[in-house]
Amino acid sequence: MGKNIGNLLLLIFCLLIYFLSIRGIAGNPKAEELNSLKWRNNGPFEQTGRFALLYSIVEDHSFKFSLPLARFATPDLAMIDGNYVSLFTPGVSFIAIPGYLIGKYFGFAQVGTFAVISIFAICNIFLIRAIAVKLSIPSVTATIGGLIFAFASPAFPYAVDLYQHHISTFLILFSIYSLLYFTDFTALILVWLLFGISIFVDYPNFLMMLPIGIYALTRVFTVKRNIKAIRFEFDLLKVFTLIVIIFPLIFLLWFNQMSYGDPFRLSGTTSRITKIDVNGKPVDVKVNKNISKSPENIVSKQVSIFNMFDTRLMLNGFYIHFISQDRGIFMYTPVMIFGFIGGVIYLKKKKKFAMLFSYIILINILVYSMWGDPWGGWSFGSRYLIPAYAILSIFIAYLLLLLRARNLFLIVFFAVLSYSVAINTLGAVTSSLNPPRVEADILSREAKQEVKYTYERNMDFISNQGSKSFFFNTYGSHRISAWNYYIYLTFFIIIVFGFLILYNSVVTDRRKFL
Amino acid sequence: MKIRIVKFFTIQLDLDLRHIRSVIDFLKNHTILLLIITLSVISVLSFIYYYIIELGFLYNDARSHLDIGRRVVENLKPGFAQLGSVWLPLPHLLMIPTIWNDFMWHSGLSGAIQSMISYVGTSLFIYLLLRELKIDLFGRLIGVGVFAFNLNILYIQSTAMTELLLLATMTAAVYELIVWYKDENLLRLLRIGFWVLLSTLIRYDGWFLFLFITVIIFSHIFYKYGYKKAEGTVILFATFAGFGILLWFLWNFMIFKDPMYFVFGPYSANAQQKAMEAAGALPTKYNLYISFITYMYAFIYNSNPFFIFIAFIGACIMWFDKRIKSGVRIASVTLFVPLFFNIFALYFGHSSLYVKDIMGSWFNVRYGLVMIPTMAIFIGYFVHKIKSMRYLFLGLFFFITFFSYVNAEAVSLDDAISGSSGKNVKEVSGWLKKNAKEAEGFVLISVASHDAIIFSSGMQMSRFIHEGTGDYWDMATAHPSSWARWIIMRTYDEGDSTFRSLRYNKEFVNNYKLIYKYPFADIYEIKEQYLSQLNLQPVSYMNR
Repeated sequence: MGKNIGNLLLLIFCLLIYFLSIRGIAGNPKAEELNSLKWRNNGPFEQTGRFALLYSIVEDHSFKFSLPLARFATPDLAMIDGNYVSLFTPGVSFIAIPGYLIGKYFGFAQVGTFAVISIFAICNIFLIRAIAVKLSIPSVTATIGGLIFAFASPAFPYAVDLYQHHISTFLILFSIYSLLYFTDFTALILVWLLFGISIFVDYPNFLMMLPIGIYALTRVFTVKRNIKAIRFEFDLLKVFTLIVIIFPLIFLLWFNQMSYGDPFRLSGTTSRITKIDVNGKPVDVKVNKNISKSPENIVSKQVSIFNMFDTRLMLNGFYIHFISQDRGIFMYTPVMIFGFIGGVIYLKKKKKFAMLFSYIILINILVYSMWGDPWGGWSFGSRYLIPAYAILSIFIAYLLLLLRARNLFLIVFFAVLSYSVAINTLGAVTSSLNPPRVEADILSREAKQEVKYTYERNMDFISNQGSKSFFFNTYGSHRISAWNYYIYLTFFIIIVFGFLILYNSVVTDRRKFL
Repeated sequence: MKIRIVKFFTIQLDLDLRHIRSVIDFLKNHTILLLIITLSVISVLSFIYYYIIELGFLYNDARSHLDIGRRVVENLKPGFAQLGSVWLPLPHLLMIPTIWNDFMWHSGLSGAIQSMISYVGTSLFIYLLLRELKIDLFGRLIGVGVFAFNLNILYIQSTAMTELLLLATMTAAVYELIVWYKDENLLRLLRIGFWVLLSTLIRYDGWFLFLFITVIIFSHIFYKYGYKKAEGTVILFATFAGFGILLWFLWNFMIFKDPMYFVFGPYSANAQQKAMEAAGALPTKYNLYISFITYMYAFIYNSNPFFIFIAFIGACIMWFDKRIKSGVRIASVTLFVPLFFNIFALYFGHSSLYVKDIMGSWFNVRYGLVMIPTMAIFIGYFVHKIKSMRYLFLGLFFFITFFSYVNAEAVSLDDAISGSSGKNVKEVSGWLKKNAKEAEGFVLISVASHDAIIFSSGMQMSRFIHEGTGDYWDMATAHPSSWARWIIMRTYDEGDSTFRSLRYNKEFVNNYKLIYKYPFADIYEIKEQYLSQLNLQPVSYMNR
């Protein structure tokens, strides 16, 4: 009973926060309206390609964009055989269709679409909690872990907008959950299915799901050892579960065939159209040299998917993801540092899944450090590391369990956590469009005025333009200033965290779990 | 091994433990042999690969090394004097037994073979050093793997460059030093001296190693036994280990009449660095920060930031590991000699190194790879000490290595292809190959400026009159139309000694016509009416 109330309270809290911060405006926009200031520049659409594809599928029943949609989708647009098509994998667009349709029914098509991502974010919170609980972490501590991921990391701004990260994270977490909770056979079917879907959502997910896939393969056989021999038993039925990976991939190949005329042509390897002229013809735009190898900036160049990961870029990638002012973990979500500490302890103690978790985190970091554009274009914090934040949150929960009685630690932890919440709530209620520093410097020189690239830009946004929150714009903007709205929301989250940490410190019996 | 189907859809595989144990025992007992075989195969395959795709001798320096070796045995004036003073002599001396063969010369194999042997040797010394530190087999193999699978190492070991030879001797010296710290055996001291002696005859990094090890040996003995024994030990060590340095001074004195010729001579690194400084192209000089950062970038690009991070943690663990003798820990600092040397060399302007991030282009970026054995050793130590992370590291090692191979991420190769370390002389050498190779007559050229052209032309060395040909050079620069059918030089470049010698020569101005003008050199040919007065064959009295 108490457990159900806990779950219900958690669900209500998460729904409330996401409802208060989801970006959007009321209405069902037509294709021609999408490019207007209201929807695009000042509105909720920051990354447009996925919504354009969704809209095209639902409204035009086509993978090829009409001209207004093509204009809307730029710069995430490709041209194949004279047709404008999406530059993204189609997974997110397909998955968000129910949200669009329900939202449209109520006159909130865009909000409904974005809400799908919020639902995945809530699922992720519960998955983190469930995984942590299965790893012998008390439920309150596990809940803190889930909430840290959701509201104290850049996962927050990306839970209220149409991006792939929460879906990718969900697929990773749900695979781990399956391996923890289900029998081998069911778990394997689910893992392979999720593996396939993950590629359908975003190609690099292949690499991030790889450790899970390899781990799952170890469930295919058992090893027994006696004095004389080692016995391997291979269960062929479990091997055959691999077949399910094909189904999502067939769908992806079909999409590629329909969009690019070749099932094996990957979306990231097609040419990019950054602008369309008045006659509807593509305009070639020069690419910033500093991010020239970015997969999101490839102009008329066929590249292999593996060529997108360049080990020489790793140093810059590490700098961007950890230290840089425009994206670094230290700047945007320093609470995750506790996750690394917890992870090292967890690994040293050879706890369950320690190796798998470490692989997921490190491969996530390595992959996106080798990525041509570690900044993630114009974004808020290091968005590519959102799956790693999810696993790190489990490690944070573990560290909190270990050090729950150390008051000095708790004070420092709470201070860092509060800072992380404040920063990411700011991102959530404003905008995720912060330029990389290299680009901001160029823009500053061109515009002859400072173009900010840190969360200061979000502060300016909230001061000058207010908030992109659907709730604030619809119901709150007449009663309260955007700054106050942001401050109340932040304090509300921090207070809940404070209560949970206090509860964790006082009530949880550490000996029972360690 | 038994395979059977035990029940529906289940296959059972039984492996006899005795067989497994015997295989493991065999592997354990023959690890070194297996390593030698495996690494040799990798080394040879790597050489063949770069040879087939014609990337093996892109480095200007590689071609020069091969030419120096060749000049000792085949030249208008062959002999040991051809070893010159620009580079230390051991790599060229080692080429002599094979460089007479045209294939060995032009394939680069004569120089690469020592790099290849050094590649295997360095790997083995990494293995032995880790074994000496009581690292288990897994850690030792990881250490070797980090070194042996590095793409930059694999590329440089396929060329006639000197870095791998230096690495082998330095790693061997450090290995012997660490063993000596344990047993203090006098013979061991001489073995350290032997490797140091060799390294001092390969690159000047070896000289720094000599000084560093001398200080370390002195301080160890002094601390333990007092001054007298320290003095004796150091004299014994330094006499042997420093003999190569002494010989080099003697050589310069005998050949060039100045023991410091290699330092202050016109073709010395010092002279080149001065020219670069005058052109404002030596930003590291007297700037410790830039020197440090530049070298670190070179090191990172030659290895990987993740590996360096792991190695750094490994080094920290080792230095605080009280189970390792403090002396051994002190001796392990010797592994950082390449780092200290390169930073000092950059700071004092004795060396130039460009990395794209700072200077906008590549030059000598391969210097960064001399730290890779150090990195490999500390990584081996790390995976041994932190056993819970060893398989994590192994997986990530393969992951990173996979992408570096897929994208051919060898910065040392990029430097040779598009950086300043390579020189595309195809046009000039191609012209010579087509027009001069089968014709009669000598080519007047400066080896200091255009050794790469000589190598790439495919012509015999005895067809070239250059600075090292004594009377031929004097005669040809005074009366070119009697000796040189073709003249290759970079017109108006004061650094080109042919141009310096001929710029006011009326014979040259009147009797030669410009055939082609290329970015790296111009080709002049004698006018037809003067062909009859040309000497087309070597003259015996001048060869004395």
